[in-house]
Amino acid sequence: MSEEEKERREVGAGLMEYSPENLVPFGPVHPSLKEPEYFKLILEGEKIVEVHPRIGYVHRGIERAAQDRTWVKNIYLFERICGICSFAHSLAYTEGTESLTEFQIPVRAKYLRVLIAELERIHSHLLWLGLVGYWTGFDTLFMWIWKDREHVLDLLEAITGNRVHKSFSTLGGVRKDLTPALVSKLEEETKFITERVKYYETLVHSEETLVSRTRGVGRLTKEIAERLCPVGPLLRCSGIDRDVRKEDPYAAYEFIQPEVKTSNAGDIESLLSIRLAEVTDSCRMISEALDRLPEGPVRVPFPRIIPRGDAFFHVEAPRGELFYFIRSNGTPKPERVKIRTPTLANLLTAAEMLKGRPLADVPVVLTGIDPCFGCMDRVTVIDVDKSKKWSVSGEELRVYGIEYYRRGAGKR
Amino acid sequence: MSKKRIGKALGEMFKTAMEEPVTVKYPFGAVIVAERFRGKLDVDPIRCTGCGVCEIVCPAGVITMVPVGKRSIGQREIEVKKPVFDLYTCISCGQCVEDCRFGALALTNKFELAVFDKGSLIMKKALKVVQ
Repeated sequence: MSEEEKERREVGAGLMEYSPENLVPFGPVHPSLKEPEYFKLILEGEKIVEVHPRIGYVHRGIERAAQDRTWVKNIYLFERICGICSFAHSLAYTEGTESLTEFQIPVRAKYLRVLIAELERIHSHLLWLGLVGYWTGFDTLFMWIWKDREHVLDLLEAITGNRVHKSFSTLGGVRKDLTPALVSKLEEETKFITERVKYYETLVHSEETLVSRTRGVGRLTKEIAERLCPVGPLLRCSGIDRDVRKEDPYAAYEFIQPEVKTSNAGDIESLLSIRLAEVTDSCRMISEALDRLPEGPVRVPFPRIIPRGDAFFHVEAPRGELFYFIRSNGTPKPERVKIRTPTLANLLTAAEMLKGRPLADVPVVLTGIDPCFGCMDRVTVIDVDKSKKWSVSGEELRVYGIEYYRRGAGKR
Repeated sequence: MSKKRIGKALGEMFKTAMEEPVTVKYPFGAVIVAERFRGKLDVDPIRCTGCGVCEIVCPAGVITMVPVGKRSIGQREIEVKKPVFDLYTCISCGQCVEDCRFGALALTNKFELAVFDKGSLIMKKALKVVQ
């Protein structure tokens, strides 16, 4: 191989290595906290022209493992797909499995499921907002928000017994009931969070550090959204009014309706306001659920064998629509469970949003989709003009992005 | 406009500067966990009958039933088994506690389970008492 050909191959590697056949490998568990995900960015100077995400580095074979475990054991397995939205996974699985049987779940259990799901949404959105602060160089915001998020995590620990893997929803209801002390604590904390979010809402739209890095960054138009089908807040920021909680109510969402916020701006700033509005709305839904909480049992005995049948179930996880397909063959173990996580649906939209933006915007836009984050660990940069290729870590890119905007380059 | 902007973050800054730190100086200060906190598993050897339900329901494969002796019921002789807990794989989900109808299992609020010797987390408490 001549030198010239070798060089050409190296330059073209970014485009040639990933043919459409192996571009989307199967990976239900890939997006989780600090887990590897690989993006190949192709640049022209500072501008990004192509983005090639590659997923599947942390394929843990959970769907196959589920086939060897009983229905109850699988609750704990699916909870461990994601550390942040663990309850959304167990909720989708348990409700999906319950829909295969004729058992009636107590209404109180349904309300409690909504309660925990909304608490989880609050903590997930606050976590994301803190991370946006971190990636834009506004570390103070990161610390303030995570301090407030701790209140929600303490609540989750007090109600369910654990901060992360709640193990709250089970087949036939929920595992723990609320006590009067917990109810008053919940009311107190939701008021506190609502007030804090009000402050953050004014802060994120007026603070120069955030505004310069988020306003107009990564514009997502309605056309792109319709073509690439993102889910959750990303879809709502493009002006499409979609929410699983409203369109196909599960648990007690038919009694407690969410207010779906949309925006036509389609940039990261609109994502900030949508997510903050959702936190306020979740606080309202929690207090509404507490007001209407019916009396009665929280759990009914449930069989260990599920009748033959297929179930499709989707829930609105904090990141968007989470989809479960469950097939039972009438044995104590499921025959097949297929999961589609929201980040898988959002990933290509993020790649589209990056096109035409400077390299410094990569951390903010990729964080914008709330991708459970590991994505930033390795990014290969190919500069078409200079024909060279180098790798940067997430931390290097963060510092680069902050420096880029400090120089005032972003205002050009 | 810009003065107002600075004021927004400044007010919060002074407020947080006056407050007590929210972090705990762990391990020098104690971490208080919730009442329902699911921590290290504990077994009551006297209540445990060795029925083996916990072994069946455990999603993490923590529990193994080991034979400890023989017992005769009438003319039949049956093997008596007791559970051994490999707590290093325990995920503290509490499924065994829920399914134990003799109330022999409980989750304590201990969470400091980091050890140098993995063997020290194998709990053989239930083996000592054989009825």
